[in-house]
Amino acid sequence: MEFLTELMQYVVENQSEMLSLTIEHILLVVYGVALAFVVGVPLAILAVKVERLAPVILSAANVLQNVPSLAMLAILMLYFGLGNTAVIIGLFFYSLLPIIRNTYVGLQEVDGNLLDAGKGVGMSSFQLLTKVQIPLSLPFLVAGLRVAAVIAVGVASIAPYVGGGGLGKEIVSGIAQRSDIKILAGAIPAALLAIIADYILGFFEKYAKKRTT
Amino acid sequence: MRKLLIATSALALLFVLTACGGKDKETTAGGTYFEMGTQDYTDPKIIAYMVKELVEDQTDHEVNITENIQASPLIITAMDKGDFDLATLYSGEVYNNHFDDDKVEYTTDADKTLAQAQKLFNEKFDLKWFDSLGFENKYTIAISDDYAKEKNIETMTDLAEFAPDLTIGTDSAWIERGDDGYRAFQEHYGYSFKKALGMEISLMYEGLKTGELDAITAYSVDPEIKELNLKVLEDDKGFFPPSTASLVARNDKLKEYPELEDIINSMTDLINEEEMTQLIYEVDIEKKEPKEVAKNFLVEKGLLK
Amino acid sequence: MEFIVDYLDFWKERYISILEYTYQHLVMSVISLLLGILITIPLAILLTRLKSNFLKSLVFNIANVFQTIPTIAMLALMIPILGIGMKPAVTAMFLYSLLPLLRNTYTGIKSIDPGVVDSAKGMGYSAFQSLVKIELPLAMPYIMSGIRVTSVYIISWVTMAAVIGAGGLGGLIISGIGFNNKYLIFTGTILAIILAVGTDLIFGRIEKSRNKNRRKTI
Repeated sequence: MEFLTELMQYVVENQSEMLSLTIEHILLVVYGVALAFVVGVPLAILAVKVERLAPVILSAANVLQNVPSLAMLAILMLYFGLGNTAVIIGLFFYSLLPIIRNTYVGLQEVDGNLLDAGKGVGMSSFQLLTKVQIPLSLPFLVAGLRVAAVIAVGVASIAPYVGGGGLGKEIVSGIAQRSDIKILAGAIPAALLAIIADYILGFFEKYAKKRTT
Repeated sequence: MRKLLIATSALALLFVLTACGGKDKETTAGGTYFEMGTQDYTDPKIIAYMVKELVEDQTDHEVNITENIQASPLIITAMDKGDFDLATLYSGEVYNNHFDDDKVEYTTDADKTLAQAQKLFNEKFDLKWFDSLGFENKYTIAISDDYAKEKNIETMTDLAEFAPDLTIGTDSAWIERGDDGYRAFQEHYGYSFKKALGMEISLMYEGLKTGELDAITAYSVDPEIKELNLKVLEDDKGFFPPSTASLVARNDKLKEYPELEDIINSMTDLINEEEMTQLIYEVDIEKKEPKEVAKNFLVEKGLLK
Repeated sequence: MEFIVDYLDFWKERYISILEYTYQHLVMSVISLLLGILITIPLAILLTRLKSNFLKSLVFNIANVFQTIPTIAMLALMIPILGIGMKPAVTAMFLYSLLPLLRNTYTGIKSIDPGVVDSAKGMGYSAFQSLVKIELPLAMPYIMSGIRVTSVYIISWVTMAAVIGAGGLGGLIISGIGFNNKYLIFTGTILAIILAVGTDLIFGRIEKSRNKNRRKTI
């Protein structure tokens, strides 16, 4: 109980710092995932259009996904320098697989009859893509974003090891100073962020599902 | 339509990102920012705040500190790339795989090690390695004092008989380091521990407390040595390299801002080992902020009002 | 060319310790996965039998919360409770494995056509027989894919365990960063990727061949 009071006290005393770390954390995740969205969706479309490329794109994303996070950041740091850039690129890499895989599956799931119907009414393949396939695969895409965001919130927590910011700063300096309060002051908001991201994107996922069925 | 909306908003975000990236490099007082990096242990943090206090007191410049970089080589890479202008490093770093084997000569002589670091880092990385801050932070091996007394262990050689039953905790790098790491240690002293576990430095003491570790590679200025009543073993066969702490700065910054060089020079031999141990004690055990501890020390020394 | 020779030398010199790190990595991953399976499958079965939606969502929410705690924080928080080394690392990984295993097993059993279970009852199967002979085999594809996903995640996350003294391939990577040795970082990274991707492929094979066999028997 006393511990909780101390924790509350710490958070209140450092509230502006905590707030800016939280915002920084959110931004890291948003940039990383947004970048992966911008790159991943076209790649997924490419994989659907050119079947031959699909295994290449998916396995490349799969390998990236399995690079241990600390190694990923350390290696990226060598190229992008210290700080948030390396972290954002790392989050981008980790977000690619869930986004590409889900979009790919979603696009493929679209009923062949619908595509034929589309063709029947004279839609071009571009129109088919934007008017039929993408809207119908939206729930899958949002599900991919959801997974990506939760993973990114976690990975972003080790950003300080390569000079990045975010709530990981509290966690890492908490470990270095053996202060459980600091660790928790970083870990609890980080976990909350992941839960909130999960919840909000889960809501959108459900909404998108309703719209498409 | 909706997809377009999402895509454009994502792009807009990216623009914001790049806009944020170009940070304004001018301070309010018209000086510049010096970027300083610190490792994830305490003495470089305290030093960094001392530099910050002094620079901001004596010049219009400001110092921006990034704490908890995972390892010294990452800091050196960052300095090489220009992300950091300043850092605290230890002379033993010269043996850490930065230079070809034929360039560095391994020695446990403190002055020679420092001289090599000053010369080689200047040549290869264009970094100025300043003279000693006044303290060393060496690797040593520490065991509990009770155990040492019971078994009558004074030196690292004495430990040979018992080591096969002991688990040693150390920072991960030591296990793999070259001339001054665990491999070389086993050859030099001719014995191995039952297990050698690498971990985050701050956790070694936790492991000793809970009894999961019997020995650790402590750092000579760690206040926990006293706090936990540990026995630091004498390195009787001269294995561990010296580890003199110095400030290191990029040559181009020093040329551009000679006042920075003056300030760093004024910190030569500022802190001895005992003082540093005390300062770390205040941060690690009394949980004071490094900034405050650094400032008080400078005031005490008359460098700051 | 010189690079390859250097790298081979590196392996020659260090292969024993590299194998040791790999072994630790596998041991931690396997133990946490087995623990996860042992706990979640009965728990998931229990949940499918429960009427109370409140309890169900409580269990799932708790598992979900574990899942969202950043790895580094989870490991750090284990220290005051379990100390350092493999114990806290395995516990942390076990907690991470709960949600995917639980969710897949639960979905797998729930997705079985109630008609099948009813007809099993009609044929005089006891609840236990129905579970073992009908429901679990039918839910197997879901359970297997849960195990697949979880094991890949665990293998990847266990690398962080080196921070709290548990060893594993993360030890190789962190030493590499600290000792400024790119071969160490590279080797640890590649081996971790191979383990994860290899596990994924092997489980994928198993899933496929099971599906084929099933089709044959049907």
